[in-house]
Amino acid sequence: MKVLIPIKRVPDTDQKIQVKPDGSGIVTDGLPFVINPFDAIAVEEALRIREKSTDTVEVLAASIGPEVCEQQLRTALAMGADNATLIQCDASLDPWNVACVLRAFAGRYQPDLILMGKQGVDDDLSQTGQMLAALLDWPQATFASKIEFLGSGLRVTRETDAGLEIVRVTLPAVVTADLRLNEPRYASMTSIMKARKKTIERITTTELGVTIEPRLQLLGLEAVPSRRKSVRVGSLDELLVKLRAEEKLL
Amino acid sequence: MNETNNNTADVIIIGGGVAGLSTAMQLAMRGQRVIVLERQRLGCGSSGRAAGLLGQLRGTAEHTRMLADGLEIVMELEKRAGVEIYVKTGSLRIAETPERAQEIQELVAMGKSIGFNIDHISIAETARRLPYMKTDDLIEACYSPTDGHLQPAELVSAYHKVGKGLGVRYEINCPVEQVIIQGGQVKGVKTPRGEFHAPVVVNAAGPWSYLVADLAKETLPTAAIGHYYLTTRPDPDHPVDRLSPAVRNRHHRLYTRPESGGLIVGIYEDEPVEYDMEKLPKDFDMSAMKAGRDNLNVALLIHLTQQRFPWINERTPMTISTGIMTFTPDGKGLCGPLPEVQGLFHCSCCSGHGIMQSPIVGKVMADLILDGKTKYDLEFMEADRFHDVPGYQERADIKRKCYEMYASYYGQVEKANVVVKH
Ligand SMILES: Cc1cc2nc3c(=O)[nH]c(=O)nc-3n(C[C@H](O)[C@H](O)[C@H](O)COP(=O)(O)OP(=O)(O)OC[C@H]3O[C@@H](n4cnc5c(N)ncnc54)[C@H](O)[C@@H]3O)c2cc1C
Repeated sequence: MKVLIPIKRVPDTDQKIQVKPDGSGIVTDGLPFVINPFDAIAVEEALRIREKSTDTVEVLAASIGPEVCEQQLRTALAMGADNATLIQCDASLDPWNVACVLRAFAGRYQPDLILMGKQGVDDDLSQTGQMLAALLDWPQATFASKIEFLGSGLRVTRETDAGLEIVRVTLPAVVTADLRLNEPRYASMTSIMKARKKTIERITTTELGVTIEPRLQLLGLEAVPSRRKSVRVGSLDELLVKLRAEEKLL
Repeated sequence: MNETNNNTADVIIIGGGVAGLSTAMQLAMRGQRVIVLERQRLGCGSSGRAAGLLGQLRGTAEHTRMLADGLEIVMELEKRAGVEIYVKTGSLRIAETPERAQEIQELVAMGKSIGFNIDHISIAETARRLPYMKTDDLIEACYSPTDGHLQPAELVSAYHKVGKGLGVRYEINCPVEQVIIQGGQVKGVKTPRGEFHAPVVVNAAGPWSYLVADLAKETLPTAAIGHYYLTTRPDPDHPVDRLSPAVRNRHHRLYTRPESGGLIVGIYEDEPVEYDMEKLPKDFDMSAMKAGRDNLNVALLIHLTQQRFPWINERTPMTISTGIMTFTPDGKGLCGPLPEVQGLFHCSCCSGHGIMQSPIVGKVMADLILDGKTKYDLEFMEADRFHDVPGYQERADIKRKCYEMYASYYGQVEKANVVVKH
């Protein structure tokens, strides 16, 4: 079985993120970048599937973007992915473009399962998995908090606002990982050393036959003004008055 | 708030970590008007990242006496602030090689000779007290019932609470950018919020303290070094009692203590990460520091942890904490003035034990500032002990010596236990 994990390089959102004065993006100077946390969960799940399976399971990590994305692919390799491919592309990408590239890549690689993060923590769009499933015409199970193998398909527990929903999908399928699916591991010393020596395959979007035509246009970014005013209230009554009259919360 | 217009005090303290806060509180107890200036938030530097272990038996009898007296201060603080700071778990040292066993024997003899409560403990008893630890390869162990850990966040808030009650003023988001010196005497400091004046200024800026010393054209022999520890989540198969003893295992370079049903394990690795504080962004926030999933230091930490706690591995649910420590060339603190500037005191109660030292260091600093002396024999931590000593003047040399000190902090480096070198 082949599992494909798309990997996105994102800024570490625990750091202070600043918007460029002209609103065209964020200031990336000195900002640490990490593997999208939901993608790390997807990698972990694939590793667990491989560990449990009696068949051979190959876990392939693929990232679309410039050379620097190699760092996040190395992280995936260090965690235990078997192979990694960098799909070279310097253009900025929207979810539609990513889904198109991944569809073309899946056409070549023929995975049985595409396991990906439910969203990137940079833009929180949560669209790529859904678009990709539609483009491939594969079943999809988004926001997975549990994945079980049942016969030739999967039984996936999804987290929805209304509660847990259980769906069955046949393979091949697209599954997107939610926060509670698992807790990703740290890489061991041996696997870090091994990952450093692995060759990362490279392919361009042109070689995949995809032309990048953005459908989303970024009009501007604006930082939300931080309004952190805390006051000490003397009593519960005073708190209620404030919440009602000033904050209009009750 | 009319006092905010009055930026004059008896003592200005740069840095709101445990060192600065403890010193401020002790000075206020002696009637001084004190202003603490903190670049971000109180306790947001090393103090907010620490594991808080307290092991009282150190190199010299005087050091041990000071730490024991520091505990008395903590007891008093707990009463005044109404919080639990000290968790008395006891502590063990364990050995698996004859050399380490020898070290333990010497330590016990030394401890006993100065009346410190320490004794040998059988391996069977060690196993009984620490059912979650591998003990079948141990040949020697000792136990000190009065050790434990200080809860760093509670300690910070207690210093703050008691200090505030005594009239200490705390200015946060207020970085010191210049030290004002006239005729070799300190007069105050400059911040984006204006000048603050006092005849005495204390540099308690933790990892940044060498930069503050630079502002006064003094050389403080400290370096900033990264440190990591893990905290496992509670695991019903391996319960860790809240009062399980702390353990120091020099052979595997690790220390451990209980934390909320899980276990904290930290190491002094032989190839730590160095930091140049001047190169970090101005608004660098230590509390946002994170370790990647493929961080080699973390991998080493987990690897060494597994040698002693075989149930912990890369897949164990855990959090990794990381921060920056101040290290000195001999691993001891730096307290007191340097010869160049009158009225400027340094307080770097540092290396891996600044939390546990802070209660007594604050007292010692107040004594030094107000009386020019203290009842302790402070030679081993006087700030000027490297002054004019060749080989300790250039930043590169200082950094290298501090780095080597960190790397050998848990004794001779035993490479044999590390399978992969980086
Ligand atoms: C991961 C880790 C684990 C540790 N474990 C232990 C342990 O188990 N036991 C133990 O005893 N110790 C431990 N330590 C060490 C301990 O945390 C430190 O020794 C101690 O906190 C140092 O306190 P400090 O007040 O000197 O420094 P800090 O807490 O760093 O305080 C310095 C303060 O100065 C401020 N500052 C800097 N420059 C300026 C400026 N120009 N103007 C105004 N303010 C400024 C900073 O923002 C900071 O808040 C650990 C440290 C780390 C990083």
